[in-house]
Amino acid sequence: MKVRVGHALRAGLVGVAALAILVSGCSKKGGVAPGTLRYPIRAKVKGLDPIHADDEFSGTISHAPYENLYQYHYLKRPFTLVPQLAAAMPTISKDGKIWTIPLRQGVLFHDDPSFKATAGKGREMTADDVIYSFKRLADPKNRSSGWWVLDGKILGLNAWREAATKAGTTDYAAPVEGLVALDKYTLQLKLPQPSYQLIYSLQMTFTSIVPREAVEHYGKEFINHAVGTGPWKLSEFNGSAKAVFVKNPTYREELYPSEGEAGDAEKGLLADAGKRLPLADKLVYTIFVEDQPMWLNFMKGTLDITTIPKDNFAQAVGPDGQMTPDMKTQNITLHVTPQLDVTHESFNMDDPLVGKNKYLRQAMSLAINDKPFIETFYNGRAIPAQGPIPPGLAGYDEKLKNPYRQFNLEKAKQLLAKAGFPEGKGLPTLEYITYSNSTNRQFNEYIEREWATLGVKVKFTTYSWPEFQASIKNRKGQIWSFAWGGDYPDAENFLQLFYSKNGSPGPNDSNFKNAEFDRLYEKALLLPDSPARTALYQQMQAIVIEESPWIPMVHRLGYNATRSWLKNFKRIDEQHNPSKYYRVEAPAKN
Amino acid sequence: MLTFLLRRLLAAIPTLFGVALITFVLFNLVGGDPTYQMLGKHATAQQVAELRHEYGFDRPLPIQFVDYLKQIVTFDFGRSYATKQEISSMISNSLGPSMSLAIPAFIVTTLLGIVIALLVAYHRGRAVDRVGVVLCVIGMSLPSLAYILFGQYVLAYQMGWFPISGWDSEWSERWSYISMPLLIWVAVSLGHEVRFFRTAILEETGQDYVRTARAKGLPEKRVFFKHVLKNSMVPIVTNVVLEIPLLILGAFLLEGFFGIPGIGSMTIDAVNNSDLPVLKAMTTLTSFLMIFGNLMTDIVYTWVDPRVSLK
Repeated sequence: MKVRVGHALRAGLVGVAALAILVSGCSKKGGVAPGTLRYPIRAKVKGLDPIHADDEFSGTISHAPYENLYQYHYLKRPFTLVPQLAAAMPTISKDGKIWTIPLRQGVLFHDDPSFKATAGKGREMTADDVIYSFKRLADPKNRSSGWWVLDGKILGLNAWREAATKAGTTDYAAPVEGLVALDKYTLQLKLPQPSYQLIYSLQMTFTSIVPREAVEHYGKEFINHAVGTGPWKLSEFNGSAKAVFVKNPTYREELYPSEGEAGDAEKGLLADAGKRLPLADKLVYTIFVEDQPMWLNFMKGTLDITTIPKDNFAQAVGPDGQMTPDMKTQNITLHVTPQLDVTHESFNMDDPLVGKNKYLRQAMSLAINDKPFIETFYNGRAIPAQGPIPPGLAGYDEKLKNPYRQFNLEKAKQLLAKAGFPEGKGLPTLEYITYSNSTNRQFNEYIEREWATLGVKVKFTTYSWPEFQASIKNRKGQIWSFAWGGDYPDAENFLQLFYSKNGSPGPNDSNFKNAEFDRLYEKALLLPDSPARTALYQQMQAIVIEESPWIPMVHRLGYNATRSWLKNFKRIDEQHNPSKYYRVEAPAKN
Repeated sequence: MLTFLLRRLLAAIPTLFGVALITFVLFNLVGGDPTYQMLGKHATAQQVAELRHEYGFDRPLPIQFVDYLKQIVTFDFGRSYATKQEISSMISNSLGPSMSLAIPAFIVTTLLGIVIALLVAYHRGRAVDRVGVVLCVIGMSLPSLAYILFGQYVLAYQMGWFPISGWDSEWSERWSYISMPLLIWVAVSLGHEVRFFRTAILEETGQDYVRTARAKGLPEKRVFFKHVLKNSMVPIVTNVVLEIPLLILGAFLLEGFFGIPGIGSMTIDAVNNSDLPVLKAMTTLTSFLMIFGNLMTDIVYTWVDPRVSLK
């Protein structure tokens, strides 16, 4: 009997395992068709409506089926805007207030049942569609978090929005002075004042062109549909699992660029010059909320590209910053570029203690040693920030040394004494607000230790993420850590974080106020990209450095690894979907 | 029976009210204001005020609570603050993936747990029992994350027996994706189930009626499978039926690591985003199911033990 029981037990357990393996093995594995791009997305995707695509991942996916008037040149750096749905760059009047934009002709929306008049065939996109899409972004009912990209920039659009708010209904037929269709293929924008940042707005996901029929047909469910003019047509969407797109059969003729920056040809990035886009047939985005499965899938060859998770960094990248031999053996290529961002410690400038004592802020800035910080928290994958302007933008100076970011404890102690708190005596414990996650706890311990050596004590108040945001916006707490990812490649997008009129709940979270800074900022807004504007940006940055409302910490480096069969990959950090340029040379090999 | 059911259903009303009150107070006091997250980094004071007004955040709390009670009655919780998706669709879309893992895992764990518990209990004090108990303790001591990391790295990546992660709406493909999380679910849960079931069975073997049966000379197998097993079913059924409503919560860790778009990870996202409408819906749904589960337990008692009657 005992023997039989033992057998039965083993048989039962082995049976479950064998059944699981059998079931798994019975399924189709691998077998990816040539031309299928397999791309990881690092968070769940809210939806596909471009006016709500306010996070990196929704923005990336929404840019697959939709297009804008302009796009970034795929290969050129610094980032250069080129026409997408526009036929040419805008013609701008002498006073900078009237933009005339010719549109491409013969551009079709995806075939979709919402086009009842054409029996489901996608109709041609015209200037009216652009006007409708811009009005939709402004429509108060839609509560788009992207309204800021047009806010105050188009004559009459704010008034149209306010009228809709007051009336409680939106009249899309009501004209807007600054949005005019001169003819079917010519759009005229009238601006209340010159804006040299508006062009960037016209490439952002929020201003993607959508057809009115589809919006009205799907109603609130439009968020789960995608009817654009882009190279990819939606085939399947589950924001928690995956999004699948297939090549849009009616996509207009768009060709792979024939020129790039120096070195692109040698890297093979011009091998497909002049070929019609998209180069792949299918695009599969898989959602990963955890790093391990994403990394293992990439290593297994079931993803063509990945970011490199912190825990796998040592496996992938050696101390010399190059791929490890194991990775090279597998023909995996590493791509590294600075991200358009800055992380920072913010001081609450409304606080009667830290906000009013420049020397205290400078002392605390000098007491943080950035080298071990970058090694500990970024595996060395970051550039010490000297100011708010990140590398790659006009105004960034790689030789700049922020005098308050060169770690010097002695000098920090002198400044603390000058602030009225020699060795920290008389300085109350400062309140540092933070949100709960394991990396933040480690980060807080590091900062606490650094400031303790200076004689500054901090206590941490930990919130959930929404509470943390609400606390900052309500000007609570004295210090906090934050990061800003650039919306577009212009230093203005970073310097606006110190403009007094952008105070909380606007993006100037620290509520920095400086009349000279404001004057320079307003002056720079009226200038096109030029040495004079760059000089103003640098003057503004100098004010920020001296006043230290922030302790600039790092500009992060972006890392990607690609498999050998993925061609034409070039890192681009703008919220821009480069998938149409990628070619998959062969099926995945395990 | 009918009177009993009606009485229990009526008793559920104050329970649901209490749950609703606690949920409401908890998330209004410590859940954080989702307004800033909804409006993004460029929000203006006017937009914040308008949104707070639109969602009723500026209304007195008792009125907001009454609105919540209305939502419970109609089970219409509107749309998620974070995703702007309809909550009923979010739940129905997530329920299928969660249940396609949870139900087979629950059935396999329960059946296997009972079989193994019977075997080790039958051999109480012998090597099979001792080894079984030690394995159960080891199984319970290992965190589920360890199983997941091991499973994905060794069984999927190195051995290639399973896909590393993924999801497919087609059942033919879905089985391959849920097979490893299913195995991990069983491995993680089995130790606890076997120990509980074994204890329940052994408690019965010490009862007077068992001694009497043995004294009468009944064969051991007959004593064990006819008398002990039947009577030990009351605590086992209680445990099993009460676990069923909790299946709705899914297994957020397994769902997260294996890319299963289930209800567990949806609920965790709602907590992280202070997505009160989703949390209200999930709390209400879980409460309903718990009440239903308790009711079902009482009814099942009458089948398992004829001495129990519902009045």
